[in-house]
Amino acid sequence: MGTTRLPQPFADLEVFVADWSLATQREREQKRAASTAEELKLVYRILLPRLDPMLEYLNQYSLDKLPADAQRLFYLTLSFAEIAPFVECYKGEPRVLNSFEETRFIAVHADRLA
Amino acid sequence: MATAIFDVNKRWSEEYPELGTDPVPTEPCISAEYFELERERVFRKVWLYVGRQEEIPNPGDYMVRDLKACRTSVIFVRGQDGEIRGFHNICSHRGNKLAWDEAGSCQNFSCKFHGWVYDTAGQLVGVPDEEFFHNFDKADNGLVPVATELWQGFLFANVDPRRSQSLDDYLGAWGKRMSGFPYGELTARYAYKTELKCNWKVALDAFSEGYHVNVIHGQSYPDTFTGKNNPMCHLPEVRFYGPHRSCIVYGNPNHKPSPAAAIAYRFGESVTKRSGSQDQLPAEVNPTRSAEFGFDLDVIFPNLLLHILPGMWFTHQFWPLAVDRTLWEGRAYWPPAKTPGERFAQEFNNTVLRNAWLEDTATMEATQEALSSGVKTHFYLQDQEILIRHSYKVLEDYVGFYTQNGNA
Repeated sequence: MGTTRLPQPFADLEVFVADWSLATQREREQKRAASTAEELKLVYRILLPRLDPMLEYLNQYSLDKLPADAQRLFYLTLSFAEIAPFVECYKGEPRVLNSFEETRFIAVHADRLA
Repeated sequence: MATAIFDVNKRWSEEYPELGTDPVPTEPCISAEYFELERERVFRKVWLYVGRQEEIPNPGDYMVRDLKACRTSVIFVRGQDGEIRGFHNICSHRGNKLAWDEAGSCQNFSCKFHGWVYDTAGQLVGVPDEEFFHNFDKADNGLVPVATELWQGFLFANVDPRRSQSLDDYLGAWGKRMSGFPYGELTARYAYKTELKCNWKVALDAFSEGYHVNVIHGQSYPDTFTGKNNPMCHLPEVRFYGPHRSCIVYGNPNHKPSPAAAIAYRFGESVTKRSGSQDQLPAEVNPTRSAEFGFDLDVIFPNLLLHILPGMWFTHQFWPLAVDRTLWEGRAYWPPAKTPGERFAQEFNNTVLRNAWLEDTATMEATQEALSSGVKTHFYLQDQEILIRHSYKVLEDYVGFYTQNGNA
């Protein structure tokens, strides 16, 4: 456990890395859809006040030259982008209410790495 | 920024009395005969959008579009001279399909049946055992061309060998209105597709009015496209350009972003941020630069929806597969992100947009099933649904189901 996988100012978010530091939109979408409302609300509540400092920290790098620890942090912000609307609009429900079947929506771009 | 107030209580039927006010028949959405006429008299006749030029940037890059509405598959390929050409995806020998991948890059196309080889200009350049063919000349057996033309980087194709109209003539004044937006600079693409068990017009109609916004998008986009000045998402502008149509969708300048949306506003572009510069918009789009502008919603006849707003643009396209089956493609385009913050903002906005599209598509299959019952023979359209009225009028002008084919 000697190495931190996130930049030092965000080391306390380490607990989210395994589940939410995901490299593709497909993985983030699938993780969100498989989560409970309580899980989504917890991630949202903890990350929301950290997002500004996270993005300011990340913005010192260009998008294609992120060090490994910053890359993991960046993936966490993208997972936040995936789950935030579900907490803000649908009370944490992991799916869009009154919607088309999401599994039939093919995201052509979804395997692209961020 | 100018803040001219739109007149959102205009009666569009008074502006366009030729479109009438009667209920509109549902039959064109469920009739197999109507569908076949659409295929022959519309999709096999007019210019159809097939993709952006950036999708095939280099010589040898190609993409294949299965245009079932035109009963053909077409290869679009950039030649060694940099020109994009279209060819029916059919080997000249015995008719085998030539290119099987959706997209790729190649020096030549080689048929997997007997090995005939074509270059990227469609010329037949290789025939195994050629000397055993009779009275045969390779020069006469190239690929069959499909006309292609570009507008603002949008690649259109026309499969009618007897077409009489250039793309510029077809797009007409609409093409001029929408020219100059930086489509080619906003190239970071988020794309979705699905097959919908509904007629293509059921899908198109659902995106062609603002009346649904309060109900279907009440949770995903609260108070974004409605507000004190315009509680029902009335359209502040509607214009028709021959078979094409344009309208402005209102955007609430007092929209309160959610906490996550506010973060996205600070770091990048957004669908709902109203503070952005409107300098990117063509002069004819929101000419007063009203702060109540949400986005321009345009329909290029027959099957493309184009939306532009400061900072991004998006399209929907509806490809008929059968009278009750449609391939839907939704694509959103952003500026290529330079910073992690910009990329985050895109990801957030794209999530909300995807969710809204999941809401838009929610009703379509059930609607088709209900229409198929024949219980309701007409749609009752309100004044604000005039784009739909125009759509059926223009379509019938091409199709002639009621006039030429005597189904009155």
